[in-house]
Amino acid sequence: MLSFPVSVWLLVLLAVAVAVLAPSYGVVAQLKKYRQARSRERTENALKHLLREATDGRTASFGSLQGALRMSDRGLMALTERLERDGLVRTEGTQFRLTADGERVALHVLRAHRLWELYLADELGVPLDRVHAEADRAEHRLSRDQLDRLSASMGHPAVDPHGDPIPTGDGRVPESPGTPLGDWPMSTPARIVHLEDEPPLAFAQLSAEGLRLGQVIRVIDRSSTRVVLSDGEREFRLAPMLAANVHVAPVEAEVEAARLPEGVMTLTSLPSGTTAEVVALDPSFKGFARRRLLDLGFTPGARIRSDLTTFAGDPRAYRLRGTTIALRREQSDHVLVKAQA
Amino acid sequence: MSTEHACETCPMHTEMAQLGAAVGGFDRVVALAGNPNTGKSTLFNALTGLRQHTGNWPGKTVTRAEGGFQFGGVRYKLVDLPGTYSLLSASDDEEVARNFLLFGRPDCTVVVVDASALERNLYLVLQVLEITDRVVVAVNLMDEAKRRGIDVDTRSLARDLGVPAVPIVARTSENVMVLLGEVAAVSAGETVTRPLRPKGTPEFERAVSRLVPLIETAAPGVPNARWIAIRLLDGDASVEEALASGRLAELVARQQAPDARFSRKIALQGAQ
Amino acid sequence: MSASIAVTPADIVREAAALRQSLEAGFREEVVTSLYGEVERITRRAVHDSGSRPLELDQRIDHIVTSRWLGLPLMLVILAVIFWITIVGANVPSQMLAAAFFWFEDLAAGWFTQLGVPWWLTGFLWHGVYRGLAWVISVMLPPMAIFFPLFTILEDLGYLPRVAFNLDYLFKRAGAHGKQALSMAMGFGCNAAGIIATRVIDSPRERLVAILTNNFVPCNGRFPTLIMLATVFVAAAFPPAVASLVAAGSVVGIVLVGVLFTLVVSWALSRTILRGEASAFTLELPPYRRPGFARILYTSLIDRTLFVLWRAILTAAPAGAVIWLLANITPGGVSLATRTADFLDPLGWAIGLDGVILLAYIIAIPANEIVVPTMLMVYMSQGMMTELDSLDGLRVLLVDRHGWTMLTAVNLMLFSLLHNPCATTIITIYKETLSAKWTTIGALMPLVIAFAVTFLTAATARAFFGF
Repeated sequence: MLSFPVSVWLLVLLAVAVAVLAPSYGVVAQLKKYRQARSRERTENALKHLLREATDGRTASFGSLQGALRMSDRGLMALTERLERDGLVRTEGTQFRLTADGERVALHVLRAHRLWELYLADELGVPLDRVHAEADRAEHRLSRDQLDRLSASMGHPAVDPHGDPIPTGDGRVPESPGTPLGDWPMSTPARIVHLEDEPPLAFAQLSAEGLRLGQVIRVIDRSSTRVVLSDGEREFRLAPMLAANVHVAPVEAEVEAARLPEGVMTLTSLPSGTTAEVVALDPSFKGFARRRLLDLGFTPGARIRSDLTTFAGDPRAYRLRGTTIALRREQSDHVLVKAQA
Repeated sequence: MSTEHACETCPMHTEMAQLGAAVGGFDRVVALAGNPNTGKSTLFNALTGLRQHTGNWPGKTVTRAEGGFQFGGVRYKLVDLPGTYSLLSASDDEEVARNFLLFGRPDCTVVVVDASALERNLYLVLQVLEITDRVVVAVNLMDEAKRRGIDVDTRSLARDLGVPAVPIVARTSENVMVLLGEVAAVSAGETVTRPLRPKGTPEFERAVSRLVPLIETAAPGVPNARWIAIRLLDGDASVEEALASGRLAELVARQQAPDARFSRKIALQGAQ
Repeated sequence: MSASIAVTPADIVREAAALRQSLEAGFREEVVTSLYGEVERITRRAVHDSGSRPLELDQRIDHIVTSRWLGLPLMLVILAVIFWITIVGANVPSQMLAAAFFWFEDLAAGWFTQLGVPWWLTGFLWHGVYRGLAWVISVMLPPMAIFFPLFTILEDLGYLPRVAFNLDYLFKRAGAHGKQALSMAMGFGCNAAGIIATRVIDSPRERLVAILTNNFVPCNGRFPTLIMLATVFVAAAFPPAVASLVAAGSVVGIVLVGVLFTLVVSWALSRTILRGEASAFTLELPPYRRPGFARILYTSLIDRTLFVLWRAILTAAPAGAVIWLLANITPGGVSLATRTADFLDPLGWAIGLDGVILLAYIIAIPANEIVVPTMLMVYMSQGMMTELDSLDGLRVLLVDRHGWTMLTAVNLMLFSLLHNPCATTIITIYKETLSAKWTTIGALMPLVIAFAVTFLTAATARAFFGF
């Protein structure tokens, strides 16, 4: 018969052994999983970098890879050797190029990144400045099948929340939309179609300025030190470096018409008891919430009256098509209406 | 549970019998669809004699409930569906309604609409007409509408929609027998309907007509190939997935079986 | 490609994707807009609107019940009035039922003794099982038969969506959805039904928040307990003239505590394990409708009240049997019931209750309805046979014989409000989430909160008010 302390220690030892060695839950197994995930992440990040350089018309070198991945010389050497052995990358002198297989993997990662960003932004309402970092993590975990479903569930979107094109499942990359802001003629209205999210700091600065996708702006002043934009209410001053991260396109005729006339306002600002006509839903308002409002009859031309409000002034209820519908401020901000006399 | 007395206000109540939650042995299946809060469950209770919980707030019915009634010697299974605003984008409870209408192949779909909010309700009616031509529109809450000074001309409605439209008051069972007469005729194929189906743009119609034959080849016997084509063009994930994984057939089969767990529970417990 | 080669579904999906590219991006919106255009044309032809006076009445009512200053107070007043009617109305019938049932218990036990039935069978059947049932019926039936019809009238009128509308702002601040108020209202009837009702919430995250917090709404199984405690203990400390008002007020108070916990826990969940922002909120406020009074009486009496009562009876009978066994198996001369209760006593004391109450809660896990009867049966099984023929008798038993104080009553109300959901609700959480993790959290989180809160109130009461 073992004495009491000994049996307790034996039990403790057994418990520790189980915790370390248990298949799939044990520490050893977890470590192995972690290392595999790390290695996949590095591989994919390297391929992503090569793809980006190729898209921008540059070729990647050892130095550019090191800058992007922040790895030691030895580690990076081992990585590039493995990539070449696996047939993902070709070396030409000091330069690296993607093989067809490598490009396929890189496009998959890019697609995962952009789809995930869109999903976070549109369906979950995650703030735009957080989606890039989240997607950087998630992009290595998503399978082809999951991406197809994700894409389908959002109606096969063409661009991510920053306006970058999302590669299709069979590896085509749609044309990058828009013209750089630098090349856009002065005082012609333009819609922002792309805000570059690399580097994150630049993007954070752009969104801190208050620029967002879908916004209609005009260039009102341009010099070597600054570019000044206006959306009709506010002015935005950008350094030329920063302005290069913004791409714009011509404004579609009907939305321009809807924005410009006098008396167009958001549904939120429609005074209680007044009647208005729905002009449009803000193009930047997307996902299930937009579809739901359309199905409820928030279509152009519909008559709407601001009817009820609560103690907090939010939500408000509106009379529309013979029924009363309550909306939060976050939604009514995206409904553009024109007050009626 | 045959309670003939419960329908004394019905003009021809001898012809009709409530069959409660009896399952099996039905000749035809009738679905009850409509916007939330239009009185589907009230009509369901009036016809089956069950006590499906009713309440005046959107979303009260979140699952499918089933019951039966007999009319003119024919036994009908009646399926009460959760209220839905649209078949285009569906939340979880609305998905239940949409799947049944699409794949459950009811012999007749009764779309219950609120007479005083016709504009909102007809949007769904047009979508249902896209799916099936065996539709009867029940214009419910006629008494409330009258109190509000709203008068609905159901003949004009029937002419425009191309399917029968019957004014009813589900709460007092007013005119419900007339509704059942139309349901019987439509489900037996005696009434020929000409459902209104607004045409889209030419490019849209061309795209649809390219897809329909493909769908019919790939999944023979699937109802509503046209509707599936439209949904595919819109990038509807659940329809796409059902088609791609070959689950379309399974989905069809599942809709034929009763939603046993919920319908039993809800039908028997009423409030719970 | 020959005609015999089958078209695969993947081909079709690809073809659809290609065709979609050829269509204009906004074609979906065009479809919706043109459908609504068609609808407008049809409506214009079919509807003749000749003035709309009653609709204006609807809107006038809406302006009052959602108004900035009156909206929330009005909700509380309506709730208080319902509880007040329930408490006042249930008092006399409860007394009469109790008197009748216990008169019959004595009579029947007397017959059994005369017929020579063994003492233990008489005790088991009449002083165990029957007494439990008698308590369940006389304490629960009258309040439920009054509360449910009143609440259903509100539901049929269309008041509930207005409540959701009024409270949405608070839920939004807590990271939750306003329709949670609807599932909470269903929770008043039964938490399991409330959890099924969360399906109206589209966002999975917000739906989980609503599922996990539904327990903080006292369901019909716990209402009679709360009403009884409010009447017998809290209100008894006040002059009879205001006693019923105080009782109604304290039940409203406990419901508000429940709402407060719902909001606080929703807020905490939205910032920890269910992190996320509040999503969209679209809710139709339907027109008011005249409730069908006959139908309400029928469904709430026959369906709800009798159903709940039947469930209570089904669980009360076996519970009575368990208690009888615990009280009558006496190894070493002390009954199992006493032993267990003594074992739980320190924990019970720490949270301002006692071992018997905790034992009753453990036995009553299948159904919250039977907590109070179970507790009474355990108390009575401990030897002292009190003539328990009225609510005053109950007061005497608990206060004089078992040392209950105001602290015990208040903490029992709090514990009853916050503790873990009943077995049916836990099973429903599993069915709705299909996740062992969320089911476990849903069951344990309220229990932990209940212990923490009652411990704090007990410690505070003892430190500052000398309990």
